[in-house]
Amino acid sequence: MAEEQKETVIVRRVRPGTKTEDFQNWEDQPFEDMDSTLAVQQYIQQSIANDISNVDGILAAPDGQDEGVWKYEHLRQFCLELNGIAVKLQGECNPDTCTQMTATEQWIFLCAAHKTPKECPAIDYTRHTLDGAACLLNSNKYFPSRVSIKESSVAKLGSVCRRIYRIFSHAYFHHRALFDEHENETHLCKRFTTFVTKYKLMAKDNLIVPILEETPNPTESEA
Amino acid sequence: MDVPMAGGLAAKRGGGLPKLRELLRRQRRDSDSQNDSPDLDFVYGDADRYTAEIAEFYSYTEEPEFALGQKYFEEDFHCYVSDKWSQLDEERKRIHIFKLLDNVESAKRATRMKAARAILYLAQGVFGECSSEEDQFRWCRENVFLFYQCGVFSTFVELLCMEAENSVAASTALRKPAVSIVDSTDLRVVMSVLYSMIVTINTEDENDTEEHRQLREQFRAELSQPVHTDDSLTIVLFVMVTKFCSGHAPHFPIKKILLLLWKTVMYSLGTLTEYNNMKKIAREKAGLQPVPEETTEVARNMRASSPPTGVGDILDPQRKGLKPNKRSLVKQNGIDEPMPGEPENGDEEDENGKDNDSDEDDEIMVRPPDTPREPRVLPWTPKVREKELDNFLDHTRAKFVGYQVGSDRETLAGLPQPIHEGVGVLKKHVYVSLSELQIKREEEINKHPLSMAEETIPNNPTEILYQAMLPNLPQYMISLLKILLAAAPTSKAKTDSINILADVLPEEMPITVPQSMKLGIDVNRHKEIIVKAISALLLLLLKHFKLNHVYQFEFMSQHLVFANCIPLVLKFFNQNIQSHIATKNSIHLIDFPSCVIGDQPELTADSLEAGDNEVFCWRNVFACINLLRILNKLTKWKHSRTMMLVVFKSAPILKRALKVKQPLMQLYVLKLLKVQTKYLGRQWRKSNMKTMSAIYSKVRHRLNDDWVFGNDMDARPWDFQAEECALRACVDRFNSRRYEQTYPNKDPELESVDNNLQSVLGQCIELSEEFKRFYEVWLDREVFSTQIDWDLLLKDNIIV
Repeated sequence: MAEEQKETVIVRRVRPGTKTEDFQNWEDQPFEDMDSTLAVQQYIQQSIANDISNVDGILAAPDGQDEGVWKYEHLRQFCLELNGIAVKLQGECNPDTCTQMTATEQWIFLCAAHKTPKECPAIDYTRHTLDGAACLLNSNKYFPSRVSIKESSVAKLGSVCRRIYRIFSHAYFHHRALFDEHENETHLCKRFTTFVTKYKLMAKDNLIVPILEETPNPTESEA
Repeated sequence: MDVPMAGGLAAKRGGGLPKLRELLRRQRRDSDSQNDSPDLDFVYGDADRYTAEIAEFYSYTEEPEFALGQKYFEEDFHCYVSDKWSQLDEERKRIHIFKLLDNVESAKRATRMKAARAILYLAQGVFGECSSEEDQFRWCRENVFLFYQCGVFSTFVELLCMEAENSVAASTALRKPAVSIVDSTDLRVVMSVLYSMIVTINTEDENDTEEHRQLREQFRAELSQPVHTDDSLTIVLFVMVTKFCSGHAPHFPIKKILLLLWKTVMYSLGTLTEYNNMKKIAREKAGLQPVPEETTEVARNMRASSPPTGVGDILDPQRKGLKPNKRSLVKQNGIDEPMPGEPENGDEEDENGKDNDSDEDDEIMVRPPDTPREPRVLPWTPKVREKELDNFLDHTRAKFVGYQVGSDRETLAGLPQPIHEGVGVLKKHVYVSLSELQIKREEEINKHPLSMAEETIPNNPTEILYQAMLPNLPQYMISLLKILLAAAPTSKAKTDSINILADVLPEEMPITVPQSMKLGIDVNRHKEIIVKAISALLLLLLKHFKLNHVYQFEFMSQHLVFANCIPLVLKFFNQNIQSHIATKNSIHLIDFPSCVIGDQPELTADSLEAGDNEVFCWRNVFACINLLRILNKLTKWKHSRTMMLVVFKSAPILKRALKVKQPLMQLYVLKLLKVQTKYLGRQWRKSNMKTMSAIYSKVRHRLNDDWVFGNDMDARPWDFQAEECALRACVDRFNSRRYEQTYPNKDPELESVDNNLQSVLGQCIELSEEFKRFYEVWLDREVFSTQIDWDLLLKDNIIV
């Protein structure tokens, strides 16, 4: 039945019962033809599905795209994909061993999810941070529309970036094997690093995971 | 009425006959040379100068902490950068800011606070690298804008929420016998950063670039947005205020909270200057004519009247100035009042030539500020309400025609010519206020709950704030007034009142004389600043709520009245207001930033008073005017509250406040005196002619308002309870209709009929056993065997 529809109209839906290999297995649609309110997300996901290692290509906004919305949608996508690393971390990052959210030795981070200062174990911090980011990005008050976004709300993205970056750095410094495996598959940290540098959401010195310098070759992420 | 007395005041207080003689002599001399002491050179505004507003945020006890910030910053910064901060390019600055921000989110309190202090040092303009105050200001501005772009503001707001919830600090403070400045260290650092950002970003400067302006707009929008949880910064701060008042958090730096709250409200809702524009636009939108004149604008061109004499009047009531007074006062009885635009008996006026204060008007004229003589026109266009016009018509019709014509402002049949003229004049000056329209609209909605649909509720910052404040507004008002009471100079420190000095008292009490003098000044200054912040905050809220919807204003003002705001303000003025205004509770040498730039002189008893030649204290005049304006707002058109002014014997208190030679302040005092003149009795009026004529010449005239001679003491019995209850009912209806959608308070009769198949069929209906048993019989009889002509339903005229 799906075959028949493809002849006439391509329905870009993951129907119940679709096999993993058939996910997003449809033809590209030019950005101009995407007419839903979620066009930007669709476009980003399409470019990711095409070539996940083409970081610059994924981050290149189509002409005339509102920058605020572009940044917002990318950050949404990052949070979405970060759940992948979080799931992997759950198997390895134990609250007994990683009792605090640390990256390099000096950092211990405060978990913003609690009203009183609290040091959560790393895995909880990861979950809380992703949860908090999801709440903020889906908040009706800051982001009532996904078509146009107020400048004052775009300003909030910076602190979300800084917080979720800590997940990368924790994984890199404490669960290197897991990080490398995930990074080879997804190039997520590389994409994130390029993203925050491109839009000046974070400064170079704060990006402590050495990922851009070591990998001049875009296909190989880790040395 | 030109009997200026300011020079004689000091003498008068001394009392005694020689003093009086001296007083009279001086009076005579004064009247020859017109007014003696100049008016206070005070300019009313939204706030004081930028530097003063920043300086007032810090108490003198905090002085040693400035250096601490510098130390923490430099320790951290110079361990990897050898350049000075001011030499870095923007990119490197950003890097360091992000680094500090990461530290601010550290779980270790010490690391966190060190980073916060370092950020504060940057917000204070890296004063260690500055040689002048201009430098410091420039760096402060630059850093603060950069901070905003890096997201420092939202991080610090979150930090504030966290510190405010910090139960460890609260319980430590509760256990201590005496809280001191040390208990609030963390909070103060966080709030100082926020305050510096709010005030600096919102201060316009000639060097503003387009980017600065854009960031400012964005920042203002962000201020009214919710932070962290669902509350906006304003609500977070209000909650802190109530928590402080309830005694659960005695360590809170209340002065800083209040200043921050005031500035947040000011910049998120709009300053008073912006308010005037907002009002103009709102009136335009409602189809009303523009406001004829701006109060502050008119008052700027006014001259202060010389203070009322009291003693002099009683001593020699027949002295000059009184006779012309009487005449001009007689003249204003009734509607033969000269109007702007009507040339009026000029020569008669000439007799009053030497009478400076009396004046008639040809047109509204803006007087050049330096003219030595009072203008011979009234400063205001008179106003009249539609209601008063109707009353007038009803009254004359009843008199001449013998019956009433309801709600008709046109027909003048059977009325004599002078009445026609009178009506013409009244009509020319009808002024409809936004509130009247809103009240009318509200009445209509309540009368026709279905056909008059709910108007779209505007989604502006004021509305959002009101909705957020609504559930706890009474507590907020009570807390603010409690603090105001504790900070008023006239109130004695009582054991049961709240301690508002926690954020000014040092841990160790001072030993040397200059040190304790410094602390004494600091404590008084602290209180003055609190009064200033609360008065400005209340006024702003009242004004914005009133513009947004009059019942929002009434809700707030009613809670202020219930919390005894009126006697509290009167109590505040029941002091030597002149000396209060002239107090010098400031030490300019150790104000920020001068205390951190250049060499610091040693503090001696002499240097404490150096560098201040002002004759008045800006913040005190400002606070006084704000309090008077609040009082005016609360009592305007409210008979019962006006009677409170009479009952609390406000007249002598207010009269004393007239001694301050500041036109705007006098104007608000005179307004308050005017509304109660009727009730003060003939004797009072007789002995206060000077005040009466000042009212006449300075306060707007309401046509048909017989404020001078009206003696309707008994005509309008006042029932405080009934009046407030009626108002309360309106306000409650408004609030529940607009804000309680969740549980419908409406009459179920007025709910629309549910005709959705799904929900109608989904309803659970209890059927009786009997019905169930004979259901088939019923079906047969009622449904199958009866013919129903459904087409009838579609016919137009169904006869039931």
